[in-house]
Order: sequence, then structure tokens, then C-alpha cells
Amino acid sequence: MDWVNNLIFFSGLIVLLLAILVSRKLWGNSSSSNHSYLSDTVVLHQFHRGHYAPSMSAFVVKLETYLRMVKIPYMNVHEMKTGPKGKSPWIEYNGETICDSSFIIEYLNKKFGMDLNKDLSTSERATARAIQKMVEENTYWAVLLTRWVYNRDRTSRTLTHIPWFFVWLIDRRTRRSTYYHGIGRHTPKEVTQILTDDVQALSDILGEKKYMFGDVPTEVDCAVFGQLTQLLWCVPDCDAKHFITDNCPNLVDYCERIKNQFWPDWEECTTKGGKVAATK
Amino acid sequence: MCVLCTEQSSRAPSGTMDIIPNFVLGLLSLFIVSTVLYLAFLRFRYNRKLSAPKDTVILYQIGRGPRSPSISPFPLKLETFLRMNKIPYMNDHSARFSSKGKTPWIEYNGLPVADSQLVIEFLKRERNIDPNLHLSVEDRAIARGFLKLIEENLYWTMCLEMFGDNLEPIKTVIPYRGLKLWFTVKMLRFLIGLETWGHGIGRHTKEEVWLIAVDDMTAISNFLGDKKYLMGDQPSEVDCALFGMLSQIVLHMPGSRHEKYIKERLPNLVNYCDRMREKFWPDWQSRILQGESYSYDHGHLYFKENMPEPDVNSYDQKKTS
Repeated sequence: MDWVNNLIFFSGLIVLLLAILVSRKLWGNSSSSNHSYLSDTVVLHQFHRGHYAPSMSAFVVKLETYLRMVKIPYMNVHEMKTGPKGKSPWIEYNGETICDSSFIIEYLNKKFGMDLNKDLSTSERATARAIQKMVEENTYWAVLLTRWVYNRDRTSRTLTHIPWFFVWLIDRRTRRSTYYHGIGRHTPKEVTQILTDDVQALSDILGEKKYMFGDVPTEVDCAVFGQLTQLLWCVPDCDAKHFITDNCPNLVDYCERIKNQFWPDWEECTTKGGKVAATK
Repeated sequence: MCVLCTEQSSRAPSGTMDIIPNFVLGLLSLFIVSTVLYLAFLRFRYNRKLSAPKDTVILYQIGRGPRSPSISPFPLKLETFLRMNKIPYMNDHSARFSSKGKTPWIEYNGLPVADSQLVIEFLKRERNIDPNLHLSVEDRAIARGFLKLIEENLYWTMCLEMFGDNLEPIKTVIPYRGLKLWFTVKMLRFLIGLETWGHGIGRHTKEEVWLIAVDDMTAISNFLGDKKYLMGDQPSEVDCALFGMLSQIVLHMPGSRHEKYIKERLPNLVNYCDRMREKFWPDWQSRILQGESYSYDHGHLYFKENMPEPDVNSYDQKKTS
């Protein structure tokens, strides 16, 4: 009967529209939050804590490490919403909204008169930028593919509480982004080679130094640490992970050093393997 | 109501009005098929499929550019690498794409390899060469950092600059005309939009992207300083990539902010380009479309003197077996 068909059709349409509205409300972009916060305090919007690292986002770890390094007062807001550019993390500071971890750091450097790179020469600052771009524009994509595409099921079972359907959505989105980026067109073996070559380069630059540019940490250490935490603690066992633990002990020590110095509350900032809620 | 009349009105054509759409559809299909066949004919007529001798690279690329040997940095990077290491090669300018949908790519002893950096790694292994031999372990790693800064960051700012609101400058660089030019520019703009959105850089404002570009170009200039090449007095592998990218800025981004910034503020990068050109492209004027002595080098064999000697023994073995 026609009226039954019409009823089913319109009911389905209404359910679909409601699902879209609810999803956008829960996980959509924010232009700003609805809360009023303390003044002169950075409000860091990020996803929820990770099982074995404070975040499954390298850029969140980078940014939060920077805030701790320069001792800027901040508070976390854990939510699934992304910022105005559809990315996370993002911050609010005295009513201003800033997205993208690098732009945030530049903004805060100006606001607070900070410069972690003040003792670097011009050439060293240039090298630091090259290292940062390598880890953020190359290594990052290889880690993303390793986690969400090549080892998706094990990631879903052991490293996150995100429902399987959304993990599948992340897989599709990662494949699409990396295809357009270019790296996604390579085979898994080629991507793993790219990743291990990057890791080896980091190890060779670090050598026996405590940090990338000597005894004192600089801005690039936040970026490198952020990316390496993902490979060490946020991917399942795989060739790339074994490469860093077996061949680059100086990088493992480096990460432990930064963790101990700037994250003494590391365990409280994780869910301890998904067993408990993070307390910080 | 007459049932027969209802059936007739739903099935039978009502005269002339139904014939015209079919006719138009037929003409349109014929036009599309003819255009595709004609374009395929044009593409393959002057670009015969090459077969190379043993241990000789066939470099597939998209053809020469007006003021630089390519309108893309990656073919120029790869061809400069081949010249730097004197590897025998020939160019295929047919614009055939690899199985990964990318260009440039190569065939070497029948094996296709795509992606300029993977090609370089492959050739280094196959031919046992290392243009970074003179560099320390740390310098090699730093060179890799700069390679990624150039190709994974600066490159996208250049794409966004040239395929932004004003498409007139890029139309003077892509060496096509008429409908082919219009279609190519539109398609590239669409693809770059997708690629930069997926990459992330496409979500920034124009000014933010420009600041990223300034920081990248300044970092490269500061690191190069007074050196002849990026890592010192001798050229190394990263110089191929840097030369490929800077050539586009200096020669194929007319009126852009990148071009203005480099020419006015970073003269050491302009001098660097001249140095690389003199060293590895003495035939530059013959390899650019607007060159004084331009000649089409599809199938021309370079570094013939480095080709292996023909193996006479293997011919005798084949003859007797």
C-alpha cells in the first residue's frame, strides 16, 4: 500500500537526519566551547586519554609537553569534538581560539615571551625545522597507516575503546587522506621502510646527546617526542615498533628521559591499558 | 478511465518530442568517443613506446617545460640525480602514468618503479652507488630532514599559491593550448584541493600557508648559507630535490610571492640554482621549450659511454644451446 511505503520512507529519512544531528553534536567541529574558563589559562581541547600514552595523537603529546616544558598554566578538556578546522588539538586562551599545534606554539611563544630555541644558531634553527617537518609531514602518516590500516583490528582490540564501527570509519578516512597525500599509494612494505628510515635518521641526529640539540631540550624535542610516543606506545607489535626498540636504543632512552622529566604523572594520564579512567 | 489509454501513454512515444532527446544523446556520445580516440591518437602518435638496452633507465615524465626542463619538481629531481651519477637513461615524454597513478616513474631492465624517492633508493641499490658517501652519518640524517621539508611541506605551499584564485600565471607555464589547457588546469586545481585537504595544509588560511612557506624558504637559505651545495662543497642527493623545487619557484611561478621572496630576500638560493644548472645541465637551452636550441629528446640516450659492454659470451651460449 502506498501510504505504508511513504511512512517507511519518511521515517527512515527522519531517523537518518536525527543520527546526523546527534553525531555532529557529539563529534562535530567546535567554533568555541560553551564554558567560561579561568583567565590567563590555556584551555587545551583534546581527545580522551590513551591506554598507554597520554594521547593517541602525536600533536596533543607535543603540545602538552611544550606547555609543561615552559610551565604555562593550562587545563584539559577531553571531548570528541575537533576544532574549527576539523583538527585536534586546539586551544582557547582568554576568549581567542587557535588551531594547529605549530600555530598554537607560535602564538603562546609571543603571548608569554617564550623561546625554547633561543640558544640555537641560525643554522641549528633551520635544522630543527627540517627535523620537525620530517616527523610531522612524513613519519606521522606512516605511523597513521601502521596503526589504523595495516594493524587496524589489533589496534581496535588492544589500544582503544572506540567502537569497532568508528575504527572502521577512521580506517577509511586514513586511506583516503593518505591516498591524496601520496604515501597511501605505496605498499605496506614501502611505507614501513619510509618509517624506519625516518626513525634511523632521528637516531643518527640524536647520537649520544641528551636532546636533539644538546643538553637542554628545545621546541623540536616536543615534536619528536610526540611522534615517537605513538610508535613506542600506541601501535601494536609490528616491524616498525621492533625496529625502534631493537636498533635505536638511544631513542628509547630519549623518550624515557623526557617522560621522566616532564611527565612524572604519566601513569595517571593514561587508562593503564584500558582498565581505569585516567585521573589527570 | 480507459485502461488502454493509460497503458499507451506510459509506453508509446508521443511523436517528435521523444525522438529529439535520443538524437541529442547519440550525438553527445559520438562526440565524447571521438574526442577520447583523437586525444589517444595525438598522445601516442609522436611518442612511440621505448625499449631500452640493458641497465639503462627509461624515465617517464610529462614533457619539457617552457623555462625549466620540467613543469614539475619531481621529474627534474630525478633527471638531475641520473645526471649527477651518470646513469645511462632515455626520456619518455608521453606522460604515461605509473600503476600508482603517479609520475615520474621509470622502467629498468623491464621492471617499473614509481615515486621519485623510491626510484632513487632502487637505483642506488641496483647500481651500487651512493651520492652521499662523503657525508657523515649525522649529515645524511639532516639531509633527509631537509628532503622532507622541501617535498612534504614547501611543495604544497607552492601548489596552493599557483592554483589559488588567479589561474592566469599557471596557464603561461603549462605548455598546452585551448581546451586541453583549460581542462588540465581545472583538473589539477581540483586534485590539489583534495590532496592538500587530505594533507592538512589546505585547511589553513592563505596567510597561514604563506607564513609556512616563508619559514621553509628562510630555513633552507639559512642552512645553505655560503656553502656551494646544501651539505657542503660537494653536491649530494638532497641537492637534486632542492634544485628541482627551487627551479620551479624561480622559473615557473611567475608573479608569485614565492618567486618575489626568493629573488629579493634569498639571493643565495638563486645563485645555488645557477650553480646546479651549470654543473648538471650544460645543455639547459636545448632542454627547455623556450630555449635557443631546443630539441625534442624523446628516446635520446644519455651517458651512452657508461652502458655495459654487450656480453658476447652469453650470445655464443644461446647460439650453441
